[in-house]
Amino acid sequence: MSAAASTLRAIPLGRLRGQNNEGILALTIIVLAIVVGIADSSFWRLSTLLNIATSTLDNIVFAMGVLIVIISGGIDVSFMAIGIFAGYAVIVVTNNTGFGADIALVGFALAATIGLGLGMLNALAIAGLRLPTLIATLGTQGIIRGVLLAYVGSKVIPNYPPGLNDLSTSYLLTAHAPSGDTRLSVLILPAIVICVLISLMLRYTMVGRGIFAIGGDAESARRAGFPVVRIQVFIYGLVGVLAGIAGMMHVTQVRLANPYELVGGELDVIAAVVLGGASIFGGKGSVIGTVLGVVLISLIRNSLILLGVPGTWQRAAVGAMLIIGVTAQALGSSARRRPTGGVAMEATT
Amino acid sequence: MSAAAAEPRREDPTARLVRRLVPDASVVRLFVLAVLVLIVFSVASPDFLTLINFQSMGLQVTEVGLLSLAIMVSMLTGGIDLSIISIANVAALVTAQLFAHHGGADAGSQQMGLYVVVGIAAGTACGLLNGVLIAKLRITPILATLGTMQLFNGLAIAWTGGKAIYGMPDSFLNIGNGYVGDVPIPVLILLGGAVLTAIFINRTGRGLRIQLLGANEVAAKYSGLRNERVLFVTYLASAFLASLAGIVIAARSASASADYGASYLLLAIVIVVLGGVNPLGGFGTVTGVVLAAFTLQMVNTGFNQVGFNAFLYQVAQGVILIGALGLSQLSERYGWASRLARAMPWRARGEPGVPEPPGALGPQLRTPGESHREEDVRGRPV
Repeated sequence: MSAAASTLRAIPLGRLRGQNNEGILALTIIVLAIVVGIADSSFWRLSTLLNIATSTLDNIVFAMGVLIVIISGGIDVSFMAIGIFAGYAVIVVTNNTGFGADIALVGFALAATIGLGLGMLNALAIAGLRLPTLIATLGTQGIIRGVLLAYVGSKVIPNYPPGLNDLSTSYLLTAHAPSGDTRLSVLILPAIVICVLISLMLRYTMVGRGIFAIGGDAESARRAGFPVVRIQVFIYGLVGVLAGIAGMMHVTQVRLANPYELVGGELDVIAAVVLGGASIFGGKGSVIGTVLGVVLISLIRNSLILLGVPGTWQRAAVGAMLIIGVTAQALGSSARRRPTGGVAMEATT
Repeated sequence: MSAAAAEPRREDPTARLVRRLVPDASVVRLFVLAVLVLIVFSVASPDFLTLINFQSMGLQVTEVGLLSLAIMVSMLTGGIDLSIISIANVAALVTAQLFAHHGGADAGSQQMGLYVVVGIAAGTACGLLNGVLIAKLRITPILATLGTMQLFNGLAIAWTGGKAIYGMPDSFLNIGNGYVGDVPIPVLILLGGAVLTAIFINRTGRGLRIQLLGANEVAAKYSGLRNERVLFVTYLASAFLASLAGIVIAARSASASADYGASYLLLAIVIVVLGGVNPLGGFGTVTGVVLAAFTLQMVNTGFNQVGFNAFLYQVAQGVILIGALGLSQLSERYGWASRLARAMPWRARGEPGVPEPPGALGPQLRTPGESHREEDVRGRPV
């Protein structure tokens, strides 16, 4: 698998293309921005950029978790449930007990801890019971969401503890426009830090290389001496932490803790990660590609409105874009033999 | 049928029926689970074991049951079809729009038949795109159908502006709410769909090729199968079953909308996997899937009657899924499965090797060395 990846790299398609089609993605984004900018000059404003940054920052953190799972050859559909569980539970706990109500950081630490615990549930099912990742996370998604709505709360909470309330109105930048101001949340900073850390971890640490190795071929990774089970526990714990933080970011930003939110949007984030060049077979993917994938989808949504396309066409456009993206990927790597039936067999051949 | 008649060993017809319906240990486990659920809720709620309750459960189970069969067909090849809900809604919308624009609530039965056929045809046509993407362009099924799910749903939203369509004649609504004797018509449709699927999978060349492809793609290729064509047929069949579900949805809810039933997707996957279908492909039984659908419906209704919080049903789904598969995983590791199989004489008879439960998968979706997958197909009376 890693050999296949390196032959892919050896194909002379121009280095700008990037290992995971990042170059093509960036080009698509630039072309799209120019086209939209020509059609409507109001696109070329700082507010558009801030808008996209603000609306994508929680999804980017969610996508980091999904990226790690997909690189390891698995798939996770429980991260949104973990995110909203953590975010909502923190609001409930701080409102009721006053614990850490003045310091937003305590809320985030709490959310990360909750996320870690829920992530361990996944780790237990996947590394312990050895269930397929899709099945395991499908099950935990139901459990986590059900427990949240049945026991933690099912009401929308509009009042926030002071710490988180202040954070939700802290902005780095403000773009003034006649139609109204657009602000960039300070939460962009932790999102960037997380992206950088994940990127460094994947590239330079043993466990990061282990994640790629498992995704390439779990059995080979085991024989090469990687502690596969321990790495899997790490993966699902980390994904839980990231989902908890992302959920907290989301809840902070919308300033309305709604326990019915997020769940159901898993496939959109997975789509963005895959569009960003991560291979659903594992062993392939990058942080930059993932960020570009999330940004591209957000850009399509934003620009369609500016282009005068009715809002009802948004979903169809994103779907068409996704199909074009995965088709391009499939055709681009057709030199590599791919299984047609599913995700299973590449490792055995 | 002819294969069974040609068998030299004479067989008791009841035993043969049992062997057909209960092909492996996972179905036995599921049956035990279903009976347990039935007993628990019959004791807990006086209204549970009544004809009316079973009729209402029957009305509810059909939609998701048909959708589960659609997922099952795609999962047999080791793929998955995430676009089934969107396809079901397309079929429902096409039929509903035809009623709304031509005939309305006064449409005759001939018109109705035509509209239903057109609706199902439109839904099945959506499967064509899946087929092209997966079979011809070789895109991974989960990605291709993730895209088409959004595309079909998006087109449906754009077409209707996101509004629901009403105005269907009573004769059409009867499909979703009527009875034949004491049996709700949707249940008959579900059973009809199940029998059709079972015959398709087990008694036709195409169906067997689908299973072989899922069991071992490379072997299938070297045995001269045109995998491309087999995959194409798979996603057409999946879209057809989804469209059938769409018609039932429209008839039962007396409306059609682009956003109906989004929560059915994960539930259908839960049902299929609980029903013993191997997510890696090559193995699955219609009996198991239908049994799993009814079991979860019983849990759902039972929870309502006992007065549990509605969201606990979601928890129960997850616990049942992980519990059932985790148990089969552990039993395989500690050898309980072979003991259980030995207790099933109709299965073990004359067959080398004990069938392993289909839940016996590795930690990853792509774990190597699934020897049992070949065995499942080989060991099946063809």
